[in-house]
Amino acid sequence: MSYNIRVKALSVFAGDTRLMGPISFATSPGDTLIIMGETGAGKSLVAQAILGTLPCALRSEGQIKVNGRKVDTLSQVERAGMWGRELAALPQEPWRALDPLMLSFKQIFETYYFVAGRALAEARSDTKHTFETLDLKGAERRLPGTLSGGMAQRVAFAAATAGNAPILIADEPTKGLDTERYNKIVTLLAKVPASGGTLIAITHEASVTRRLGGHVIVLRDGQLVEQGQVETVLTKPSSSYTKQLLDADPQSWSQSEPHPTGKTVLTATNLTIKRNGKELISSFNLTIKAAERVALTGPSGVGKTTLLDALAGLLPPTRGTVNRGTNLPRDAVQKLYQDPPAAFPARVPLRHTLRDVARLHKTDWNYVIKQLENLGIHPSLLDRRPDAVSGGELQRISIARALTVRPRVLLADEPTSRLDPITQRDTLSMLARIAAEGNIAIVLVTHDYNIASKWADRLIKLV
Amino acid sequence: MSSFGKTVFAVLATRGLQAVVVAVIVGIVSFVMMQSLPGDAAYRIAAGRYGYDMMDAAAAEAVRLELGLDQPAIVQLWSWLTMLAQFDLGISAVYGTPVADEITTQLGYSMLLAVGAVVASLLIALPLGIASGLKPNGLLDHVTLGVSIFIRAIPSFALGVLLVLIFAVQLNLLPVAGFKSFANLILPSLTLGLGLAAVSNRVIRDAVVDAMSADWRLFSRTKGLSAQRTLSRHVLRNAALPVVTYVGVQLAYLIEGVVIVETVFAWPGIGHALVHAIFGRDIAMVQGTALVLGLTYVALNLIVDLTCRCIDPRTRRA
Amino acid sequence: MTNQTEIMVDVTQTSSYFKLSPSRLLGLGLMTLLVIAAITGPALIGGDPNKQSLLHTLEGPSIAHPLGTDNLGRDMASRLLSGAQLSLSLAFLSVITAGLPGAILGVTATWFGGWPDRLLGAFADAVLALPGLLLVLMLAAISPGSWWALYVGISLTLWVEYFRYTRQRTRIVLAEPSVEASRLLGLGPWLLIRRHIIPEIGPGLLTIAAFGAATAVTAVAALGFISVGIRPPTAEWGVMMTELLPYWREAPFLILQPVACLILTVLALHLSVGGARLP
Repeated sequence: MSYNIRVKALSVFAGDTRLMGPISFATSPGDTLIIMGETGAGKSLVAQAILGTLPCALRSEGQIKVNGRKVDTLSQVERAGMWGRELAALPQEPWRALDPLMLSFKQIFETYYFVAGRALAEARSDTKHTFETLDLKGAERRLPGTLSGGMAQRVAFAAATAGNAPILIADEPTKGLDTERYNKIVTLLAKVPASGGTLIAITHEASVTRRLGGHVIVLRDGQLVEQGQVETVLTKPSSSYTKQLLDADPQSWSQSEPHPTGKTVLTATNLTIKRNGKELISSFNLTIKAAERVALTGPSGVGKTTLLDALAGLLPPTRGTVNRGTNLPRDAVQKLYQDPPAAFPARVPLRHTLRDVARLHKTDWNYVIKQLENLGIHPSLLDRRPDAVSGGELQRISIARALTVRPRVLLADEPTSRLDPITQRDTLSMLARIAAEGNIAIVLVTHDYNIASKWADRLIKLV
Repeated sequence: MSSFGKTVFAVLATRGLQAVVVAVIVGIVSFVMMQSLPGDAAYRIAAGRYGYDMMDAAAAEAVRLELGLDQPAIVQLWSWLTMLAQFDLGISAVYGTPVADEITTQLGYSMLLAVGAVVASLLIALPLGIASGLKPNGLLDHVTLGVSIFIRAIPSFALGVLLVLIFAVQLNLLPVAGFKSFANLILPSLTLGLGLAAVSNRVIRDAVVDAMSADWRLFSRTKGLSAQRTLSRHVLRNAALPVVTYVGVQLAYLIEGVVIVETVFAWPGIGHALVHAIFGRDIAMVQGTALVLGLTYVALNLIVDLTCRCIDPRTRRA
Repeated sequence: MTNQTEIMVDVTQTSSYFKLSPSRLLGLGLMTLLVIAAITGPALIGGDPNKQSLLHTLEGPSIAHPLGTDNLGRDMASRLLSGAQLSLSLAFLSVITAGLPGAILGVTATWFGGWPDRLLGAFADAVLALPGLLLVLMLAAISPGSWWALYVGISLTLWVEYFRYTRQRTRIVLAEPSVEASRLLGLGPWLLIRRHIIPEIGPGLLTIAAFGAATAVTAVAALGFISVGIRPPTAEWGVMMTELLPYWREAPFLILQPVACLILTVLALHLSVGGARLP
């Protein structure tokens, strides 16, 4: 069995602090290796160590052999020689990985021409063919900034693999993509081992792991938690952390139980909203009752956030009306945001922000503290600024902030899509609990169909 | 019209409007200057038109009636501006020759100085900026930062005086005043060029640092392109963008600097003429030179706008 | 008098604004000295900037005249201090006259939008049509030697920078989700200004103020140098440079004094807000 990558006791250090490792594994042509874990687990560090792109401040220890050569002892120049030809890397954020000023066609053409060494005419026709096979027709003369997330991902994929490297390292390939879109990229990735190459995929999503199969390494805070075949680990995980991680995947959630609902709190009648001349929402009707959990799904760009803004009263509809339940004041409808830090004034300590709201609505401060503790937030966190608090904690603080005004409806715009899977599950179950305890209706916008169907009482799909 | 054509049109329209505003402001200020001079306005205007030698009381009277100088100020202002709009710049009260002729000669000298200054600044700023950017926080980077801060704090005319004292006077190396040969161009260009380079070298440095640490730069390398190719195909163009934008900001410094530095070095350009005209109360010259300076500023801004749009395809769709 | 607004927007993004680096301390130290000089003027050393003495011209440093005397026998130190008083007070006044209305108008125009916003914007663009110094030069030309012409011209040019900066930043801030959230929670205009706008534009305004003051000082000196601004016999650094230039050979240290004052003032202003950063 000839191995193309052999890693022995690989660790990554920052000075004397061990950030990741030690881990060991080996892959052969046709293999798939998944590195699974949450943010901060050190997954990307493995990829960077193998590639040779570790930031200057970090160093690696341990042995790495690629195609028989000991790369950890090679000079940077020699390692760079392997890029594109022996090792291909698909970066985390495709938008940022593409030159913003260069047309998509050229960015893929470059690889064929300079890296794969094809002749000019051949490189051009190969690029054209790539655009067709990857379902990117029409994007040739477009700039990366005008491409959708999925398209940018596929362009980056093509540009990275046109050099025909037999080993592909894909870092969080489904990040930011909605469920329907990421199937395309996962299929593309699966083709690599199927045609004799080797795929190393880094992800936090159990569903991606399941689809790609192969061998999996689970990391937590840089430490190896578990290692084994995907089927084994996913069905019979030996570590409780792995189990937690798997349970956090929405596919494995249990269906929410039916529960009593109250009177009507929000209605939308014949709602039509136009954006840039196009009719985004047409004749939409909705009635929401207290304690109800409604999910709004649909592909990106379909208008979910626009609809939510109209329900919040932030956006006047072109036609139709939005009505709150009888006697409900304006601030009975509150909103939760996708990017937690963006919802808070950046330079103000959280304590002041919350106090402002409490004072304005004459809410007792102790009530606010109780809500925070109910959400698992220690009051000492309030002395910090938004950027010094984790995303998950900040989102829970924003829930507490909303609760300060005693809302009847919470409109949540993808509140957990930036969070790790375990935090995501915890936050959503907290939201469900709050809905029940406070008799509050929640409208959840999500691109994840699994979350929508398992968590909510009612699912509305926008097309 | 193509999208590029549309943006060119938009840029031209904006700058065209700016040119009109410049002309109106210069015209109004010149008019106020004229009105605030002691003595008879009709006499001065007639002198401005025909030259002091060629005119007499009858001419002044004719001007008074023609221009309606017994009329309220607003009406006078209107006729003044209409004259300007017809590109009638009048006759210099000091030289006795048409303003337009004088300016044409002077414009050449000023352009020469401006080009010299830009060349000098590029010769200094480009190598230093790129070198500092490729090794950020290195010794060169720190040294150039310190020196740049210091030089930036020296006003252009003081810098000119200092350079004169060092090179021409102490070391007796370079000529100082006027324009006799190419050597005369060196000190004034260096004065302006140093002032420009002090800031632009840091802008270049920042642009290079940003480009080199960008995700797309790393991707270009990991997909297999050599460091050389990455630099020429990706880094330089992306880095050029903030630099060219900054050149637009520097244009004001350039125009202002031309005025001051020409005076320091007695360089026979438009700035020098403007200052002299102010002394001599030669209103026609003041108006003419200020107008040309202002319009040159607009024109240069226009060129920068168009260059930005050429480099950055994103702005074409706007 | 370059328009720095666009560059300012980027430079002041840093959150390490309140850290005191060594260069910043140096700047603040120099500033303190300058402010003392500006407030007391020649009274600091008890000299008379205008007293001529044709028997003691172009003298070197002595007890009576710590920095020597100029071509008319006037005490250099007193003249420099008097110049400091003139330049810094003019700069300070211009910055206040420009800054307060500029910032307030910038915020209110963006807040209310509509035609006042567009009108003010157009006015700002019109002022920007000419390079600042040119505008001030022309205004000064209307009545040469007048302090008022300089004050009005410089204030107008600085006003534009304040206005555009606050307008641009306020526009960005008001479009942020955090403002939307605060509004939904019922927070009124005063709280929005206090918690969202002021923290965002505050540091930048301070930077513009310092750089604007440096620009003002330089402009006054430049115009004094070419004798269109302040005129002799008033003690102003630029005027002093013109007066002393012919005597560079006999007494080079004399002309270097006003130059050094100018450089130190600009350095002090730049360093105290920007630290070791440009522009």
